[in-house]
Amino acid sequence: MPTDLSVLRARVENAAKVLGRCWPLQSYIAANPLAGLEKLPFDEAVAQGEVLYKGRGYPNVAQLRAAWETGEIDAAHLADRLDAHGLTDAPAQLLDQMETAAETPVPNRSGDGPLNRAMAKWLAAFVDQGQATWAMPHRHEGFYTAWRAVARFDTTLAHRDRLRDLPKRPLEALALALSDVEAAQWETTLRYHMAALPGWASFIKWRSQDRHDAWQGAHPITMTGYLAARLHTARAIGQPVAPANLFDEARGATRNGRDQPPMAAPWLEAWEATYREQLLATLERAAPAVDTTGVAGRPKAQLVFCIDVRSEVIRRHLEQTGPYQTFGYAGFFGLPMQFQPYGSDAQITSCPPIVDPKHRIHETRSRTREETAATHDRWVALGQAGQRLIKSLKHNVAAAFGFVEASGGLFGMAMAVRTLMPGWLRTQQQAWTQHVPSPDTFCDLSLDRALAADQPEGLPLGLSTEERSYYAEAAFRLMGWQQFAPVVVFTGHASHTANNPYNSSLDCGACAGHPGGPNARTLAAVCNDPAVREDLSARGIDIPDDTVFLAAEHTTSTDVVQLFHPPALTKAQAGIVDQLRQDLRTARANTTAERARVLQGSRPAHAVADTERRAADWAETRPEWGLSGNAAFIIAPRALTAGLSLDGRAFLHAYNWRTDDRGTALETIMTGPLVVGEWINMQYYFSTVDNAVYGSGSKITQNVVGNVGVWQGNGGDLMTGLPLQSLQVDDLTPYHHPLRLLAVVYAPQGRVSRIVERNAQLRSLFDHEWMALTVLDPEQGNRRCSYQPGGTWAIPSAEPRGTQDTEPTLAL
Amino acid sequence: MSDTSHSPEHTLHPLKKIEIIVKGKRERFVQELLDRSGVSGYTIHRNVAGRGASGFHEGHLLFNDEASLVMFFAVSDQSKIQAIINGLSPLFESSSGVMFVSDTQVVRLKKFLGAEGPQHGGA
Repeated sequence: MPTDLSVLRARVENAAKVLGRCWPLQSYIAANPLAGLEKLPFDEAVAQGEVLYKGRGYPNVAQLRAAWETGEIDAAHLADRLDAHGLTDAPAQLLDQMETAAETPVPNRSGDGPLNRAMAKWLAAFVDQGQATWAMPHRHEGFYTAWRAVARFDTTLAHRDRLRDLPKRPLEALALALSDVEAAQWETTLRYHMAALPGWASFIKWRSQDRHDAWQGAHPITMTGYLAARLHTARAIGQPVAPANLFDEARGATRNGRDQPPMAAPWLEAWEATYREQLLATLERAAPAVDTTGVAGRPKAQLVFCIDVRSEVIRRHLEQTGPYQTFGYAGFFGLPMQFQPYGSDAQITSCPPIVDPKHRIHETRSRTREETAATHDRWVALGQAGQRLIKSLKHNVAAAFGFVEASGGLFGMAMAVRTLMPGWLRTQQQAWTQHVPSPDTFCDLSLDRALAADQPEGLPLGLSTEERSYYAEAAFRLMGWQQFAPVVVFTGHASHTANNPYNSSLDCGACAGHPGGPNARTLAAVCNDPAVREDLSARGIDIPDDTVFLAAEHTTSTDVVQLFHPPALTKAQAGIVDQLRQDLRTARANTTAERARVLQGSRPAHAVADTERRAADWAETRPEWGLSGNAAFIIAPRALTAGLSLDGRAFLHAYNWRTDDRGTALETIMTGPLVVGEWINMQYYFSTVDNAVYGSGSKITQNVVGNVGVWQGNGGDLMTGLPLQSLQVDDLTPYHHPLRLLAVVYAPQGRVSRIVERNAQLRSLFDHEWMALTVLDPEQGNRRCSYQPGGTWAIPSAEPRGTQDTEPTLAL
Repeated sequence: MSDTSHSPEHTLHPLKKIEIIVKGKRERFVQELLDRSGVSGYTIHRNVAGRGASGFHEGHLLFNDEASLVMFFAVSDQSKIQAIINGLSPLFESSSGVMFVSDTQVVRLKKFLGAEGPQHGGA
């Protein structure tokens, strides 16, 4: 490769560093939109975000005023933080000053509207995943080649003749487009063009880096190809490749975009301090009883839920119904796998975005349950045939008119029912689906290694006995498991909603935006394997013979917990399972009643019916609050939080410091689930503080594009964040409190220090204040130690609140 | 040419060796660069631990494949190694990572000279 081309390739890679990644709708991953800037301190990164994306990085004045007036920002904390920032005016005056400053209009992106429109059009056509009836030609040859073949016929490009003799290879084409730009300015120019449509560019960044995406395999797109097409489109429109104001903006970026520190920073810090102080004080009060709290003796059943903040509410209510013990564990249950459901060719990646899938698990029909499978197949085939018929009638030019005439009344009635009686419709649907056996009742999971089924480019099918034992051991060691109940249930989660492109954002984030049931079923099957139990016993984990492992799925929109088809149960186990089913119904009623208090229009007395209605209503913009409210990540035994109402705001990961002398389990939790928690928290944070830029605006005006994402109206950038309705009660009233995550670890402070010290990614996140860390040290009388940027620890004295930031610090 | 052997079967031929250590998320970029550079092969060590300018990086993390470091080895002639250096140098202006180039010797020269010309394709 000629030197200038290899240098250009590196410049593209460097320029793309500022971008985060954006996943498609089917596997919506909550990620920090400023992930590309996370190596910077938080304040500098949001300042760069202001320059690059014109996005606000701190809560707006209305959000701060609301928090101030409702007492969510404590006056003493605010005074402390204002003082630290050198601000002396009264809070009310400062809010007024911010309000005045906010009236200054934010400059729009410079005039490349036609260019953005043209690129969004071609990208949407290229990345389409089955929404379009007519596909863009030449897609299998890659984006640049496909674009090169058709763009020269685009009549909206005034100088489209310039596209006739472009090089065949994208890198050469990009070099040609940059031929009038000094090499020293390449990176700035490329960054400018990526930031012009950051949603699309982030999507391309994700897709070009994903090794397992079937669409990328079939229709490859690279950042180089996109930039080559974009820069040549600029030339074809008659726009300069490097606009005159480009380098002014670049200078702004190096200056952090503003001359004054943000006035909202101390307010955010005070808001965070208020919440954190309340939480930590509550936990400190509970800490002395950690070793005595919990179920006395052997629990009847143990349920492992995802760490998701929504699990906290139902766990609390379930524990109140009987002798149950619950745990929090990453919802992919430690299994880095792809799942292929019965009757589907799709390989669903079912593990967090920072973990590469390493195994394939298939759902295959069991030979012993053929009759049930046949019944299922018959109903499914009937449904699919009907859908195909309707689609072909709608899309056939000749048949479409007659079809509309003949079926209009029927569709009108269906629309009326869906609109006026969604709850009734759901009941009917549930009654209907009871006739159709679900795959878990007649399918086995392909746990056994099958060398013959391995594909050259694919992952190995199944798990060896060693691998099964490894994942089972990891689960019990990470959670600090000490005794086994007769029934253990791994409970994944998913959300059921209607007409909701963001459905996967409500599914399990640890399963890459998919339901967690398949992983729960896999781990349950692994733990029921006698060979695994033998292995575990040899490693000091004795699972009693009377313990059985089951799987379940928690539907977060309705709080139903549905057990999957169980293995053979003893009479005693069956009795416990029957009682558990009843208690789960009670827990559901209480959980939905608690949620009804914050779901507008819902009444606690009718909470179950209301959640059913929301899950089925195609006009419902807020089927549930998702992870809104998230603000803390607690790594501790359940005994620390049991009985406390944490308002569904805390991720809970089980951890027992006594069984983890070397800190291996804690290190895994902090470098894995905690990092994913930070991604989720930052997604909610930025989507709230600037919904138009970092979120995705109102659902009302969104349209799905290419089955990969949404845009506002009928074109423009791919919207990467959460919709307004997922975060706000209405246009003016926030529901989600945009606070950065506080990690609370119940473990010796020295152990936590060592883990932070040897993991650069963690240290960077804490040092740069993307999240905060506080330890409650059981070896020091549950003393609270707060990590300070730079690697020291602040230890509050017994002084009154407001003085804790002046405490002496310990060297790391 | 430094021939330290008396037997023609064991003649040692001088070549260059490059060692590259980057963050896991840059693995694909470096791998593609090596693929396009014309070297005949390379070795990848994943989950490498060590300390650099940004502190210590733990090697093998159970639930995080992105945070660890990855190390590449490649051996080839001066021109191909130089092409790799040219393609990597801009990356290290803003990303953490290191590369080392050293003299080395091989017995089977043909095995290491690889393709005649560098490749450059893409979508």
